[in-house]
Amino acid sequence: MPARSRRRRTGCDDIPVASFSDIAFLLIIFFILATTLVKTQGFYTDFPSGEKSEKPPEKTTTVVLHSDKIVLNDDEVDMPNLRTKLKALKLDRKTGDAKVVMMEAPGKVEYQRYFEVMAAITEAGGTICIVREEGGGR
Amino acid sequence: MKKERRKQRRRRRRSKIVVPVASMGDIAFLLIIFFMICSNFAKEAGIPVEPPRSPDLDRVKQTTTVVSVDADGQIYFQGHRIHNAKAVETEVAELLKTATTADARNVLFRCDRKVAKDIFEPVMDAITRGGGTIVAVGDKAGGT
Repeated sequence: MPARSRRRRTGCDDIPVASFSDIAFLLIIFFILATTLVKTQGFYTDFPSGEKSEKPPEKTTTVVLHSDKIVLNDDEVDMPNLRTKLKALKLDRKTGDAKVVMMEAPGKVEYQRYFEVMAAITEAGGTICIVREEGGGR
Repeated sequence: MKKERRKQRRRRRRSKIVVPVASMGDIAFLLIIFFMICSNFAKEAGIPVEPPRSPDLDRVKQTTTVVSVDADGQIYFQGHRIHNAKAVETEVAELLKTATTADARNVLFRCDRKVAKDIFEPVMDAITRGGGTIVAVGDKAGGT
C-alpha cells in the first residue's frame, strides 16, 4: 500500500499542453475571420466657434440650403453646379476670412443634404461657418 | 566496408525529419496577444445609422471618440445614450482634457441621413464647443 502511494507521488503529473497550439491557432483564425477592417470615409470640419457678429464680413461666400433648393451667393444652383462653382472660387488658395463659407439652413433640412453641401465646401477648400437662427436651441 | 556504408546510408534515409513544433504554441499565443492589444473595438456597434452619401469624401483616420445620432434622433456618446446636446459638450470637453495632439481632438460624427437639422446641428455645435474637430462620416457615392 505505501509503495503504491509513493509511485503516485513520483509519477508524471504534467498538464497536457500538446493541444494548446491548436487552440491558439483556432483562436487566431476566429479573430481574423471575425474582424472587420473599417475604412472610414468622411471629411474634417473645424467650425470656427464664435458669437454673433453685428457686421458680417464683406464678400463672404454664402450658401443657403433650403429643403428643395440651394442658393449660392443669391444664385439658385443644384448640387453638381454648387460643386463646380465652389471649385471655381479657388477657396483652397485663399487665406483667412476669404476661405470662409457661411452656411445657412433655414427650416427643416435633412442631414443628407446638409452633409453633401458641407462635403462640397470642404472639398473645395473652404472653411464652413454655420449661421444659426435666433433661439436655435444652443 | 562497403556493406557497412550501405547500411549507414539506409539508416540515414529511414531516419525521420522532425520539424520542431514546440514553440508553435508560444508563437500562436503571442499573435493572439498582439491582435488583442492592437484591436480597437467599435464603440458605436449596434446603433442603427444609415450614413449620408457624397462623392466628395476622403479616407479619414478612425478615432476613438464617437458621437452618433440615430434615425429617431437619439444621441449617443461612445455608444451610450445621452439626453441632449449640452451633455455632448460636457462629455467631449471632459474626454479631450488630456488630448495633446490635433488628431486626438478628432470626434467621429455619425448621423442618420434622415435626421432633421434641429437635432443634428446642436450636436455638431456642442462637439465644436467641447473642443473637438468634427469628422463627419458618410458613404462614398457616385456624382449626383
